[in-house]
Amino acid sequence: MSSEEHIFRRFDQELADLNGIVLRMGGLVEDQIAKAMHALREADSEIARNVVTRDHVVNFLDVQADEQIVNLLALRQPVGRDLRMILSLGKTVTDLERIGDEAERIARMTLDIHGSDNPPPDPLLLSDAFRMSRLATRMLHDVLDALARLDVDKAIQVARGDIELDSEFQAALRRLSTYIMQDARNVGHIINVTFIVKSLERIGDHSKNIAEYVVFLVKGKDVRHISPESIDPEELNR
Amino acid sequence: MNVTAERMSISTPHPPTPAGLFPITRSGPESGSEPWADSGPGPLLESEPESAPGLSLEPVPDDIETVGEATVERPRMTSRNVGVMYGDKMGIERVSLDIGSNEVLAMIGPSGCGKSTFLRCLNRMNDTIDICRVSGSIKLDGEDIHDPRLDVVQLRARVGMVFQKPNPFPKSIYDNVAYGPRIHGLVDGRRETDAIVERSLQKAGLWDEVRDRLEQPGTGLSGGQQQRLCIARAIAVSPEVILMDEPCSALDPIATARIEGLIDELRENYTIVIVTHSMQQAARVSQRTAYFHLGRLIEVGETNHVFTNPRHKLTEDYITGRFG
Repeated sequence: MSSEEHIFRRFDQELADLNGIVLRMGGLVEDQIAKAMHALREADSEIARNVVTRDHVVNFLDVQADEQIVNLLALRQPVGRDLRMILSLGKTVTDLERIGDEAERIARMTLDIHGSDNPPPDPLLLSDAFRMSRLATRMLHDVLDALARLDVDKAIQVARGDIELDSEFQAALRRLSTYIMQDARNVGHIINVTFIVKSLERIGDHSKNIAEYVVFLVKGKDVRHISPESIDPEELNR
Repeated sequence: MNVTAERMSISTPHPPTPAGLFPITRSGPESGSEPWADSGPGPLLESEPESAPGLSLEPVPDDIETVGEATVERPRMTSRNVGVMYGDKMGIERVSLDIGSNEVLAMIGPSGCGKSTFLRCLNRMNDTIDICRVSGSIKLDGEDIHDPRLDVVQLRARVGMVFQKPNPFPKSIYDNVAYGPRIHGLVDGRRETDAIVERSLQKAGLWDEVRDRLEQPGTGLSGGQQQRLCIARAIAVSPEVILMDEPCSALDPIATARIEGLIDELRENYTIVIVTHSMQQAARVSQRTAYFHLGRLIEVGETNHVFTNPRHKLTEDYITGRFG
């Protein structure tokens, strides 16, 4: 990720290894979400079960990344941009691991929805989940892209996009509650769908966190806990 | 030795640091530009400028490229436009830097970057080199250290020095410490000398180890003890500033840790400037760090800032161990 090499070459290799683990983990959780949503759409319990069992691979990469980080900190005593990169990637893997957990949760809810003896849900009940999943997966995809390219502008865009997902989530909750009022027999499905849309909303939050780490990595400025709209890209360069 | 203390020609009190960028401010100053940037040429300076209280009295010229905060409130020493020539070879040029009271300032940079040269300017050690010519202004507590009325021996008592290799006198431990106070006439009689020797050795963290063998030669101590003896010797004449030129490079990690702990304690009473090749040491002991490169002061700022988010690419490349 860095344009220039260290005098001590192995350091570069170790940073590249860490970077590789993180991006691999990112690709894996993207796939986990896509598969979980596919299982929901196609009522495919087999795929949903695969998602659940594959979560341990995400966890394994999380542990592997942490080990690499501990070694880098202890043996290379990184400073400056190297330090920021290692800290940012360390936080990124935590968020990716949680995104993986959310994907697993979606898969479990899918098993509940399609595997129970209840009649299958009205597709209308699921439409919010699909709309939100498009937004959430785009955020995740874009932020992984921003991380790989160290693209601050794109990271800020992702952080700003979280508002849209949040308002979709609120709208979904309102709609889902009206479905309950329309027909109380929907309650079982709607509880599961509520968990799914909540997971998707969380995936957006985690993606936004990663976007903030990208800004810190590249610019050394901590932009957490402030509204993304108030981030001035010009100021970041000072 | 030809010392010229050039008068500063430009006087502009530096503008206040711009307000923080974000509602939540991070530790460390966020001002992105040099404090003296955009200040334009000011009136010609005839006398000491009237500055706002608490601000450095010495304006910084606006034509140097140092990034970061070269000035501090309540400086103990100030240097402006300091240059050193060894014959026709440039040692350092246009170094403007404040050294704050009771702070540890670390100076880092590759070999030959001028950090030791600058350090040696601060108590006129460069006077001892015939071909060396120092220009610019250096002040200690507002007094020009190149003022012909100033006694250079007194200056070096006020600005003490500890060297890379421990260099105790070939005398007893006691006499090593007592030597300075005696020649400076700071003590009268054995009892006062005893007191100052004990106090200095205690401050240097060596008393408990040597109290029973004060008459033994200082050269018989271990390397780390010798270095602490040299620090005790520097302290004995009650300096204001202690200059340290790689004081731990000949010591093992435990002795190094003791010296570093000592530096941290000494900061309460003294101002310390340390040149070190160990960036980890600079990070551990200092509050401000200055990075030198090819005779220029490239960047100076709070140590935590310099080591997490250096502003200049040369600093970044050096501290992270990259090709420049």
